[in-house]
Amino acid sequence: MSILFLGTSSGCGKTTVCAMMCRYLHNRGFDVAPFKASNLSLNSVATSDGCEIGMAQAFQALASGIEPDADMNPVLFKPSGDRRMQLMVNGKPCMEVNETAHADHGMLVRTVRDAYSRLESKHDVILCEGSGSPAEINLFATDIANTGLMKSIGVPAVLVCDIDRGGAFAAIYGTWRLIPNELKPKMKGFIINRFRGDIRLLGDSLQSMEELTGMKCLGILRYERLKFPDEDSLIISRGYLSGDDANEAFLLNLDTMISHAEEDGFDFDSLMKYIGLN
Amino acid sequence: MDCMRKKVNEEIKRGWIGSNCECPYHPAHFTHQDCSWCYCPFFPCNDRTFGCEVETKHGPVWDCTDCLFIHRTDVCKFIYEEIDRLGIEDANDTRFKDIFESAKKKYWKKGKALMVVGATSDAGKTVTVTALCRILHDRGYLVAPFKAQNMSLNSKVTLFGEEIALAQDLQAKAAGLKNPDSHMNPILLKPKGDCVSQVIICGKPFKDYDAETYYSEFVDEVGIGIVKEQMEFLKDRYDFVIMEGAGSPAEINIYDKDIANMRAAEIADADVILVINAEFGGSFGYAVGTIKLIPESDRKRIKGIVMNNVRGDPKCFGAGISTLEEITGVPVIGIIPHADVNLPKEDSESLRSSEQGSGPLIGVIKFPHIANFTDLDPLLLENVRIRYIEKPEDFLGVAAIILPGTKNTISDLNWMKEKGIANSVLKFKGRGPILGICGGYQMMGKTLDDSEGLENGEKKVYEGLGLLDNTTRFPSYDKCIRRDQGKLNIGDLGEFTGYELHMGISEVNEKPLFTIEKMFGDPEQEGSVREDEKLYGTYMHGLFDKPSFRRHFVSVMKNDFTENCPAKDYDASVEENIQKLADIFEKNLDMKTIMALLGVNE
Ligand code: SF4
Repeated sequence: MSILFLGTSSGCGKTTVCAMMCRYLHNRGFDVAPFKASNLSLNSVATSDGCEIGMAQAFQALASGIEPDADMNPVLFKPSGDRRMQLMVNGKPCMEVNETAHADHGMLVRTVRDAYSRLESKHDVILCEGSGSPAEINLFATDIANTGLMKSIGVPAVLVCDIDRGGAFAAIYGTWRLIPNELKPKMKGFIINRFRGDIRLLGDSLQSMEELTGMKCLGILRYERLKFPDEDSLIISRGYLSGDDANEAFLLNLDTMISHAEEDGFDFDSLMKYIGLN
Repeated sequence: MDCMRKKVNEEIKRGWIGSNCECPYHPAHFTHQDCSWCYCPFFPCNDRTFGCEVETKHGPVWDCTDCLFIHRTDVCKFIYEEIDRLGIEDANDTRFKDIFESAKKKYWKKGKALMVVGATSDAGKTVTVTALCRILHDRGYLVAPFKAQNMSLNSKVTLFGEEIALAQDLQAKAAGLKNPDSHMNPILLKPKGDCVSQVIICGKPFKDYDAETYYSEFVDEVGIGIVKEQMEFLKDRYDFVIMEGAGSPAEINIYDKDIANMRAAEIADADVILVINAEFGGSFGYAVGTIKLIPESDRKRIKGIVMNNVRGDPKCFGAGISTLEEITGVPVIGIIPHADVNLPKEDSESLRSSEQGSGPLIGVIKFPHIANFTDLDPLLLENVRIRYIEKPEDFLGVAAIILPGTKNTISDLNWMKEKGIANSVLKFKGRGPILGICGGYQMMGKTLDDSEGLENGEKKVYEGLGLLDNTTRFPSYDKCIRRDQGKLNIGDLGEFTGYELHMGISEVNEKPLFTIEKMFGDPEQEGSVREDEKLYGTYMHGLFDKPSFRRHFVSVMKNDFTENCPAKDYDASVEENIQKLADIFEKNLDMKTIMALLGVNE
């Protein structure tokens, strides 16, 4: 049982939405774990057995009430400048990737698949997060975290979009349109994130988007002035956090976000259905 | 009137002088203006293409404030040629009327507009218009920026006491114009909260509207008319009007009511280029979606796509570009690399520091390879403000400095020295706490020994900041990855949790900051501290998660740092950055296509 949260861009909030869903299911007694096949990130965390994974998955593990585990993020690229990156595989340094040295695609695909199966045998529900946008047509062939993951493990997907930047309809429509046709049936729904303003102005545009794409609108999440660990952006110092312990403060914020989503009529039921939970 | 005729007579005798940089008022209108006819020989021409009639106490008067025609070099020279040819010697000669007519016929043409729209509000429309204004100005054209409707809290007051958006003021300056005016931003919306905005029309407050009534009442009844009128005004006076859209042009919920984007393009009969911010990825999706959601009749206007803010190799788009062109039918006419320019920013969203509030200010060095900056998030639990530091001026007012983690210690250390930031950090020593985390900690030491070339490629030993008596070596490609917990060796000796992720090993000759407690075996010492000098260094990420160290660090911050901060002339720096921006765009934009869209075939 799983779902993949894709985003129309990086920084659109898929990490937080995925964490919110981890928390939502954990609070309802499900055994849930996060998964991100491949991460390009500067923020990482050490697991208790000495492996390194992306910060976001550690945060989602916290939301799921479990310990971070190397299988949650089997491939991690850490940019070190001048088009050089350190590649971490299964939580350990593997090689330096640069203009001439590339990672073997077959090896990465196998690593991801193996890690996913291990994680699946340990937990009931796996909530996957995509990487960047799935519509990077120049990267289709080498993708392992978005359309690549949909192909290799057959996971259904929902698309998260940040409406605060504007152009949300274009982003949802354009991203959907560029997804290879054979995967379009797996695109189940979309989520509008960071909405502020007058909801009446949206009119029947959401319905038009549903008609245009065949994806269901799962809900509109409001612009939260809450602080969550940000993955890639330097917008670190905004948002509300309170208490003494940072982790507890993050969890409290997730709970607030869930109750806001419920208030705003977020369609958790459909999302549960797509995950395979009834 | 007589006095004026006398001046014109002097000008006739004196002959052509070109741009008069000696004049204390120079340039009164625009850079490179021709000053030969400071007093216009055509006055009053009574031609509304250039001037207008205004009512005064003494009756109607011809007003030339907005006229640029008389300051074009070709026009000025032509007038002298005609004076010579016709043998005119006096300002009262009626044949000036004929000269005016032929000058207008020969040198005046209705301007052409080009519009820049963006896939998102942070696409880079403002900088693109700024760059185009400067490029075209440098090529000798008279250019005006234009944004039909701008929603912004940042406005400027024009010479005539009108209010316009900061962005149009900046763009007008890029176009070399001395007096940005409200024609360039006829509708300004200033949000007041709760979806209500104050609407400013042509620089003057008009009325408050909520979003719904603005769209249902204002747009068709008032808005459209204003845009038409102001567009005509600018086209009469400038060669080119470079228009900026607002937000995305593909908001299907308000498409028919949107006068800032495609409707403005229609009114101005402008071709359109679409700018996309590539920084956050998803560029192809945004491009395809934006173009496809715009109705056919308007879509035809879109003549080019510009990928903006591209980090890394432009070749990375690879075959994606041709696929995109095929799907949309629109060529990609520019791939603009990320430009490191500092220009006044319009919306608060792009302000990445958090300086609201009243707490002490922490300066965080924004290394080019900054990493694990989530370490700082818990500082928000205290009443502090955070500012990212990229240049020595940014140190003004800080009460503490943090050197955060980096993915490339050596290269960021060099960057810090080159920028003069290293120097400012050293000057700050003793005034408030300086904390280095991981890579930042390594930099605080005396020496960084990369003689294997593993950290930065080059086999070399580097000099650190010398704040701590430590030496770091990078002997192998190994990485220390582990989680720790234990006690603080200072302050309330409270507990901490954290984790280490680093290449390199440090030989420490300082009092350790933390005692790491082990499940098995003896405790270990970690980090460095000099309490009297307020210096702290550690490999420990997540060190602010628990309150003990966080509170201690915040309590040590007291006095802020106001001296020794070089202040730069702001206008000069803006000018410098506009030029830098324009150069980057000119190099990476298909200017031939742009000129062709403006009706100039080179
Ligand atoms: S509007 Fe221009 S051309 Fe006409 S009188 Fe004034 S300065 Fe001369």
